[in-house]
Amino acid sequence: MSKNKILSINNVHVEIEGKEIVKGVSLQINSGEKHAIMGKNGSGKSSLANALAGHPNYEITSGTVELDGENLLDKSATERSLAGLFLGFQYPLTIPGVTVANFLRAAIKARNGDGIDIKNFRKVFKEKMKLLKIEDSFATRYLNDGFSGGEKKRLEILQMAMLRPKLAILDETDSGLDIDALKIVANGIMESAPKDGGVILVTHYQRMLDYIKPDMVHIMIDGRIVKTGGAELALELEAGGYDKLETEVSQEVGV
Amino acid sequence: MNTVTMRKNSIDFRGQNRFEPEWLYNIRKESWNYYNDLELPHRSNHLWRYTNAQDLLPNNLEELIKIIPSLPDQSENDSSYGDEDFSGYGYNRSDFMTFARLSHDFEKSGVVFKDLLTASRENEDIVKKHLGQLVGYGFGKFEAMNLALWNTGLFLYVPDNIEIKKPIRLQRHPSGPNTIHRLLVVVGNNSKLTLIDDYSGECRKEEAQSNSAVEIFTGDASNVKYFNTQRLSNSCISYITQRAQISRDAKFVSVFAGIGSKISKFNTGTILNGEGAESKLYGIVFGNENQHFDYHTMHHHTASNSYSDIDFKVVLKDEAKSAATGLIRVEEDALNCQAYQVNRNLLLNEGPKAESIPELEILCDQVQCSHGATVGPIDQDMLFYLMSRGVDYKEAMNIITLGYLEPTIEKFPVELGELTRELLATKMKG
Ligand SMILES: Nc1ncnc2c1ncn2[C@@H]1O[C@H](COP(=O)(O)OP(=O)(O)O)[C@@H](O)[C@H]1O
Ligand SMILES: [Mg+2]
Repeated sequence: MSKNKILSINNVHVEIEGKEIVKGVSLQINSGEKHAIMGKNGSGKSSLANALAGHPNYEITSGTVELDGENLLDKSATERSLAGLFLGFQYPLTIPGVTVANFLRAAIKARNGDGIDIKNFRKVFKEKMKLLKIEDSFATRYLNDGFSGGEKKRLEILQMAMLRPKLAILDETDSGLDIDALKIVANGIMESAPKDGGVILVTHYQRMLDYIKPDMVHIMIDGRIVKTGGAELALELEAGGYDKLETEVSQEVGV
Repeated sequence: MNTVTMRKNSIDFRGQNRFEPEWLYNIRKESWNYYNDLELPHRSNHLWRYTNAQDLLPNNLEELIKIIPSLPDQSENDSSYGDEDFSGYGYNRSDFMTFARLSHDFEKSGVVFKDLLTASRENEDIVKKHLGQLVGYGFGKFEAMNLALWNTGLFLYVPDNIEIKKPIRLQRHPSGPNTIHRLLVVVGNNSKLTLIDDYSGECRKEEAQSNSAVEIFTGDASNVKYFNTQRLSNSCISYITQRAQISRDAKFVSVFAGIGSKISKFNTGTILNGEGAESKLYGIVFGNENQHFDYHTMHHHTASNSYSDIDFKVVLKDEAKSAATGLIRVEEDALNCQAYQVNRNLLLNEGPKAESIPELEILCDQVQCSHGATVGPIDQDMLFYLMSRGVDYKEAMNIITLGYLEPTIEKFPVELGELTRELLATKMKG
């Protein structure tokens, strides 16, 4: 597999309402790689993810981001998606009145034959529902309306499977899942994640990484990536906890 | 001051026309006098807080008074009717001639569907008994004007125990500067009817006015569905007053979709007049540009064990405005009624304004009643969610708009829901 860079983040800073949340993050992902970003609540993982996807409330004040060699930051959220970026939401929105099938049909249509042909929509949709063990009846339910936490997360992966992005950022797709659901979701991710693209798994538990072995693990504290390593870093973290790591890091930085 | 005393420049009513029976002429004349005596509704009157009555006033009364609906050309009226989708079809021509055709299936059924002027002679007893009883001159100035000056009218009578399966469709086209429509519907016991009342068309004159009065009487255990669509072009001024009175164990569904006109004042209401009567009133408004919607809904419970439900949604963009007032009145001796209403408003940008005012007059204490009103902007996170899936801004707004309205449209009878979705799609494209 050629080692071209699928995502290149260089010294990115993110502000929310004038307050800096992400304080200089750099990250390179080669095609075919899976990276994990771990960190405590509030460390800025979702802010980074939302900023990359183009949420208007998350302003990237400096730094550069390239997706497959293209500048991402001059694109709207729509264009970023069409360029191959996918964000699996930590808290997927409920859209009453819009069925799961219609929502996905709109997303596929927006791609205009790039990816799944709208004519094959039903077939692929059914296939992917099966893969994620989602009942057929969900197709005509309003998007995330009354869905359990686990169902919402499965729906996110269903969307990824349908949209076939180059780079998927999955923001805590594992949280709120029981062990069976976790297996199904992990399997769904493995089956449908872009093979020659990249995946970022944002999580704070090791357990997801038992199913999806990351090539690299990054630890984020207070808006910065403070440590990067292989899959073993996640295990270390699980054993020692964030606090140990935090003191370690602050000693390194502090002196 | 907005009050205008009409008497001083009032016009004498015309003489009796040879086609109209004397009783009808007398009602018209009486209404005319009433119209002249009534002051223009002032803004302090709560139903007129949002709309300037002056904007609805014709400025060509002298001409208007002379227009009497022409009797339809019989050859055209009797021509065969073979539409697969509808049981009947009624419309008015730009010369104020009104036509009504009924499917041959109902030839010997006793169903009467014809222009109101002819009906006032040929079906005098029914027409005389009902005309102006729900929307008469006592209702208000513009209703008095309607009863005095209606220049296109339709009459539908369905006897007892008749089921009209496919809808009857009315097409109302404004013509000239003022079109004054009148519709009278009388449905017997145990009968079924779906009526589509569709106001459409380009108003030929800038600010052409359309004033419509609709009266619907339904019999015991009848099942009537009434659909009012107002999709006149954005230069029209539309005024519609519609009342239904439903009887014992009758089921009435009144559905409306308002997307047209520059100014649209709409007053729809149902009087639950028999025990066990059930009325559902579902509607949507979608306004853009500088459109102005002033909608009033009413459920009046006069009988015990009656049930009513209102679900009314409004979506506005650009600089559009809407006011929704919704009255529930339950009389003291109407026991064990249920009355529910909700009005929700979605604003797609910073420009539009929406007001929502529920009004409750509950005189009986054995009642189950709830009401809700919300006005809110579009959820930016929802918008982002859609855009993050590759949908562009405009399409995402449309999807959210349709999604917002959909749970209400789903309550419409199926075929009317389909029509509404089509209307919305057309409006969104434009
Ligand atoms: N929309 C927002 N408005 C205001 N503050 C926010 C918003 N999103 C995140 N934050 C703040 O930014 C910080 C990082 O949050 P977040 O990115 O959600 O962290 P994580 O995903 O790592 O838990 C937190 O202090 C949080 O309160
Ligand atoms: Mg988060």
